[in-house]
Amino acid sequence: MEIELKNIWYSYDSYTYVLKDVNLVLREPGLYVVVGPNGSGKTTLLKILSLIIKPSKGSVLVNGRDFWVLGDDEKSLIRKSIVYVHDKPVLLRGSVRYNVELGLRLRGEKRGDEVLEYISRYGLREVLDKPVNKLSAGQAKAMTIVRALILKPKILALDEPFTFLDNTKVKLLIEDIQRIVRDGGIVVIATHYMYRDLEDISKNVIEVVNGEVATLSSVKKNPTL
Amino acid sequence: MESITSVTLRSLYISSIASLIAFSLALAISIALSSLSRRRAEMVLSIFEIFVGFPTIVIGVVLYILFYPRGPLGVLGILYTPYAIIIGEFLVALPIAVTHMFRYVYELKNYVRELVLSLGGSEKHVVKILIRELVPIMISSYLLAFSRAIGELGVALVVGGGIEGYTNVLTTAIALQTSLGNYEQAIQLGGVLIAITATIAAVLKVLGEYVLWRSS
Repeated sequence: MEIELKNIWYSYDSYTYVLKDVNLVLREPGLYVVVGPNGSGKTTLLKILSLIIKPSKGSVLVNGRDFWVLGDDEKSLIRKSIVYVHDKPVLLRGSVRYNVELGLRLRGEKRGDEVLEYISRYGLREVLDKPVNKLSAGQAKAMTIVRALILKPKILALDEPFTFLDNTKVKLLIEDIQRIVRDGGIVVIATHYMYRDLEDISKNVIEVVNGEVATLSSVKKNPTL
Repeated sequence: MESITSVTLRSLYISSIASLIAFSLALAISIALSSLSRRRAEMVLSIFEIFVGFPTIVIGVVLYILFYPRGPLGVLGILYTPYAIIIGEFLVALPIAVTHMFRYVYELKNYVRELVLSLGGSEKHVVKILIRELVPIMISSYLLAFSRAIGELGVALVVGGGIEGYTNVLTTAIALQTSLGNYEQAIQLGGVLIAITATIAAVLKVLGEYVLWRSS
C-alpha cells in the first residue's frame, strides 16, 4: 500500500495554515518517525496520512488514486487498512470491552482469542468489564493501542504512543511495532522521544517545523529534539 | 379555588411541551452550528448566551404586544391561552438548551468522527455512534429547559393571565395566593414546585456524574 501527499496545505480556521506545501511518500514497509516541536503540525500530518481529515489544498494519493474524490464505499474500504491512534485516549461511553471491540464491531469482524491475548498482554483483563472512565491514564492509553492492534492494519499511525505508558508497556509496544514492521506493515509514529530499539528499524525520520517538512532523512539515527 | 393537583398537572403539561419544542430546536441549532468553524459558531452562540439571562417579564411584554388583539399576531387569538404560555416558555427555555448542548455536540461530533473513521468505520457509523454518545446530553438539556420553563413567572403571568382552570400554572398560582393572603396555599404550591425542580436537579447530577468524564 502506498500513500503519497502532494502539495498538502491544511488550516483549521481558514486563516492560518498548520501544514504548508507538504510532500511525502509512504511506500516501503517500515517505521516512519515524525518529529518536531509542539504545534509544528505533526498530529495534523498524521491525521491526513491516516485519511481522517481532508486537506485544505493538495491531494492524498492512495496507490496512485486521489482518495478524497473516491466514493464513500471505496473510502471505507481503504480506511480499513489504516488505523490512527490519538495522542490523548479517545474513549466512548461504556465498558472497556465495548471500547476495545469498537473497531471490530464497526468492521463486522470477530477475533475472540486474539483480542483476549492482546488484552492480557497489556494488563487490561481485570478491568475489561469496568466503565472506561474508571481507567488510569496509562490503562486508557493501552486500551486505545490494543483497540488499534487487534485490527491488524497495513498502516498504523501512532500519535505520541509512549505517553502515559509505563516501561513494561512501552517495551511491549515496541515489540509489537517491530513485529508489524517485520511482517511488512507500515508504522508511522509522531514522538518526542526515540527509543533505541526503534532506531534500528526506522525507515525515515520526517522532521516537521512550522508546518513544513524540514528534513526527510533515511538514515538510522536518533532525532534529537 | 382550583386544586393543587390540577394546577400542577397543567404546569407539567405546558412546560413539557414548551421544553420539548425548545429542546428539539436546540438540537437542530447545535448540529447546524457544529458544521461551522469554531470561531463562527462561538459568535452565534454568544447571542444565545445573552438571552439566557434575559428577563422573562420582558419576553412576556413583547409577546403580549404581538398577541394583543390589535397587535401584529392578534389574528391568532391566543393571548391568555395555554398556547401563549407555551410559546413564551419555549422562548425562555431555548437559549439555555442551546448553550448547554452546543459545546458537547461540537466536541463529540469532531472526536467521534475522527475515532470512527480511524477505526475503519463509515460516515453512517459516525452518525449512529454520535447519537448514542449524545443521549445523556440530550436528556440533561431537555431537563434543564424544562426546569427553566416550569419555574418562570413573567411570561405565564403576562400572556397567560393566571386564569383559574385554564392558564393558571404553579408560578402564577403562587403569586395569586400570596396576593390574596393565602400563605398556606402559596407555600404548598411552592413546595410542589421545589419538589419538581429538586428532582430534576438530582437527575441532572446523576447524569452529570455519568457523562462528565467524557466532556474534557
